[in-house]
Amino acid sequence: MEVRGDAYDVIVCGAGHAGCEAALAAARMGARTLVLSGNIDTIAAMSCNPAIGGVAKGQIVREIDALGGEMALTTDVSGIQFRLLNASKGPAVQSPRAQCDKKVYALRMKHVLEHQENLDVFQATVTGLIFKGDSVVGCHTNLDVDFHGKTVIITTGTFLRGLMHIGKNKNEGGRMGDYSAKTLSNSFLEAGIELERLKTGTPPRLLGRSIDFSQLEEQKGDADPTLFAFYDTRDESDMFHVEHHGETFAGWRPGSDPVSCWITYTTEKTSEIVLKNLHLSAMYGGEIEGAGPRYCPSIEDKFVRFEGRPRHMLFIEPEGRNTNEYYINGLSTSLPFSAQKEMIASIPGLENAHLLRPAYAVEYDFAPPTQIFPHLESKKVENLFFAGQINGTSGYEEAACQGLVAGVNAALKVRGDAPFVLKRYDGYTGVLIDDLVTKGTQEPYRMFTSRAEYRLLFNHGSSELRLLDYARKYGLLSESRLRRIERKKEQIESSVAWVESNRVGEQTWATLVRRNDWDGSLPEGIESLPDAVKAEALYRVRYDGYLKRELRQVEKLNNVEGIQVPKGFDFLTVTGLKKECALKLNEMGPANLGQASRVSGVNPADISILMVALNNS
Amino acid sequence: METVDTIVAVGTPNGESALALVRASGPACESLAREIFSRSGSLQPRHAYHGSYRSAAGTVMDDVVYCLYQGPKSFTGEDTLEITCHGNPLIASGILTDLIARGCRQSEPGEFSRRAFLNGRMDLTQAEAVMELIQARSDKAIQAAHNQLRGAFGRQLGILKERMLANVATIEAYIDFPEEDLPEEQKEAYVTGIQELMTFCSRLIDSSQYAAFLRDGVKTLILGEPNAGKSSLLNLLLGFERAIVSEQPGTTRDFLRERIILGPHSIQLLDTAGLREAESDIEQEGIRKTIELAEEADIFLLVRDTALPSPELPEAIASKLSAANCIVLRNKVDLGVSDPGPNPVAGAKSIEFSALTGHGLEALRAALLEMIDARFSTDDDDLILVNARHGVALNELRDCLQSALKKLEDDEAMELVASDLRGAMDAIGSILGRIDNEDMLDVLFSSFCIGK
Repeated sequence: MEVRGDAYDVIVCGAGHAGCEAALAAARMGARTLVLSGNIDTIAAMSCNPAIGGVAKGQIVREIDALGGEMALTTDVSGIQFRLLNASKGPAVQSPRAQCDKKVYALRMKHVLEHQENLDVFQATVTGLIFKGDSVVGCHTNLDVDFHGKTVIITTGTFLRGLMHIGKNKNEGGRMGDYSAKTLSNSFLEAGIELERLKTGTPPRLLGRSIDFSQLEEQKGDADPTLFAFYDTRDESDMFHVEHHGETFAGWRPGSDPVSCWITYTTEKTSEIVLKNLHLSAMYGGEIEGAGPRYCPSIEDKFVRFEGRPRHMLFIEPEGRNTNEYYINGLSTSLPFSAQKEMIASIPGLENAHLLRPAYAVEYDFAPPTQIFPHLESKKVENLFFAGQINGTSGYEEAACQGLVAGVNAALKVRGDAPFVLKRYDGYTGVLIDDLVTKGTQEPYRMFTSRAEYRLLFNHGSSELRLLDYARKYGLLSESRLRRIERKKEQIESSVAWVESNRVGEQTWATLVRRNDWDGSLPEGIESLPDAVKAEALYRVRYDGYLKRELRQVEKLNNVEGIQVPKGFDFLTVTGLKKECALKLNEMGPANLGQASRVSGVNPADISILMVALNNS
Repeated sequence: METVDTIVAVGTPNGESALALVRASGPACESLAREIFSRSGSLQPRHAYHGSYRSAAGTVMDDVVYCLYQGPKSFTGEDTLEITCHGNPLIASGILTDLIARGCRQSEPGEFSRRAFLNGRMDLTQAEAVMELIQARSDKAIQAAHNQLRGAFGRQLGILKERMLANVATIEAYIDFPEEDLPEEQKEAYVTGIQELMTFCSRLIDSSQYAAFLRDGVKTLILGEPNAGKSSLLNLLLGFERAIVSEQPGTTRDFLRERIILGPHSIQLLDTAGLREAESDIEQEGIRKTIELAEEADIFLLVRDTALPSPELPEAIASKLSAANCIVLRNKVDLGVSDPGPNPVAGAKSIEFSALTGHGLEALRAALLEMIDARFSTDDDDLILVNARHGVALNELRDCLQSALKKLEDDEAMELVASDLRGAMDAIGSILGRIDNEDMLDVLFSSFCIGK
């Protein structure tokens, strides 16, 4: 077998949303990085819906931007419709969402990878890992070319033993039209890493000119688009890595010329067709063993679980500007092709719709994430990192933020530096990883704002401010951007102080701002601040009491979070600790007492005992 | 590291004993001692002082001995306050509750020992013993909590939790899934839902003996004509001179609150101004207050001067009295008048009494005990909440619900309402065990068809 060159610092297996961010983060930190993809035409492919963001996910994308990732910029460049969700709710849960041109998204990301210093892109399918003792040192590929790397990041998405179902019909592959990574799973099993199966699905794609849009309800984008990347803290050189030399990449200015989505509903007839064909569905016919998500049920699930409710909303979303393909959001199914056709014809506006690609369910291997550390490295195999769906998550955004964290950590590992671990109170990325590594998951894990106990601290506009210290510590942003964020932070803090201490008549401005019936204007000095500064300052003033309450809880958590559990610590050796509790903790392997306290079945007395034991050891 | 809060616990076993010890450890100990015992002068460490324990509400709870230890020369290595009170568990719990009301936190099992160890007050060889101790205490605490939660109280809390989850899941569904085809959000339904939860929660608090007996005691109002002997009765019950007693009618113009322990019950005695046609403004004010107090009282002791004809009671008070809540004392039998006359409260127990000689005191005690037992020991007698920690949690729960309700009424952002309700869930969780977010999501996904 041929071995290519010297060892890379970091090898990334897979170039989906996790893989791209991982490769870019590692390379930007100066690590010699290789990203392998079985088909480089599908780099950063949006395999499912043509949209980025949404509630909680939108916040994640802004966190990625705050940590120097690429998803936000790529979404802004490829976005063809922007909407701020929850605009009528409070600022903490307002979330940006964008419909994207799928091809433009993928192409721009590929272009960014191609231009990235320290990064090689290569087309090959990884067929196995090369181990040396308890460490990974490289990988084999289908081209009989081996690569050596000091660290390896696994971002396989749905490709590990991917199996697609359309009724009884089965095809191997992680995405329709693509292959499956069949042998890589064996490497994990050999190394003692357990694998389980999950299932997800995607709806049919229809030809636009065969849809009767006159029967559909139109959903337009916001007149004033909310973009994902932070532009107020970027210099020209930070703007578009790929396109700042020339014109706009996609041929339109981010946020301009929005397209519409469309809404229709299933009918009584749809319900009848689905229920009649239920036995032919892969899910209901017992073809699928993997667990599917509760929040993204197939149309079969909807009719079965919510019997007597035939009307379910469907969104018809364009897949891009230069294609006539439409994505039918809400119609995920594993019914056979003929039933899908019949079902679609029963929906107003889609009576004569032409099916371009059928809906299908896909089953794949994932490695239960309690087997990794919070910095995403395997507990079993040193230098092996996992990110994205392999960890049991779902969604482009969830994958991307893990990719970024894995990329940074692989680079740190190569340098011999301490790992980068986000805390639950740092943002949604921290919540996501902490949930995964301490609790594992029974279904493809998707982020919801309700998963975060410090949700009010996570308003999307504050991502850069929250994550500034990490960005500085690990050199994830340019010097000029770091300085601008610092300045923004100072401006916000001094504005808050001003509003809190200056009076208008009997009361402070802050008292006035906190009254929910107040809609006057503040003095010129505050009103004339940049929008982002003013919005964040007023948010902090208005929510002062609540933010302080959450910060107090954070402080409490920090106390236990700060007590580290040594690597390989055997809880069974702790006197006084119940055996069932010790076994559970050994299984979960918490990195610190904060994590231990979140393991189910561990009570405060156990934590007391551990405090004594760890102080002792 | 964690000396931010001051922890408290009753250090002696639960049950009747000569003395009981309440311990506090943490930075607030000295200021607590000064506050509780109104001590502004020197407070010498390791010196036992005698004082009256005055609760945050101003009631004298007991005569105690207290001693302050300054860290690091104390058991835990932190400032420590030890209060030795009389051995009635109600007094000890009362003091504990009061300390919690003053901002202390009920200690976790073994927390004193843990602090002692972490502050270097124990050497390493003792560490294992400490861990065993923590486990043993925790087992006992879990067993005790388990016993309590097995009964109706636990079941009621379970229902509360389910309803709570349903409300939170609905609110979260509208926050997390704005794109879904959910039925229009009904904020009025949240108001109704939370009001129901509050009623439920208040009922739990009220029906618990903890609230009625430990926090306030059974409110017992002493009523009667001027100079009928109300203050003398109070003094007799207290066993020492407390109320200002004089031959002059109308001496007690304000109210005197005292606490006595009768059997297992704590009783708050309220002496009132005499009921009559008031001649002065001050007296009129006194009578108005008596009527106000009668609104909240649990039990009435109506003291009559048997030498005088039975006077007319003000309607506002007479309407409150019944055979179930009133005992009539025919006072001054020592003066030789024994004509019972018509009973002013139909069917109420009537006792011949002399506040001067103590005649009838035993009969009164027995009647009181019987009445309290009948009134407060509910049929499903497992509606018992003796744990101070539970009481704190339930009050916290009520506060959170109250705050959420206010936000809804003021039309504030739902994320703030949700934040309050999360606090409420934590409060329930502190009794029933942490409520995992997955439980909420289970309810959410089973109630709403989410599936874009």
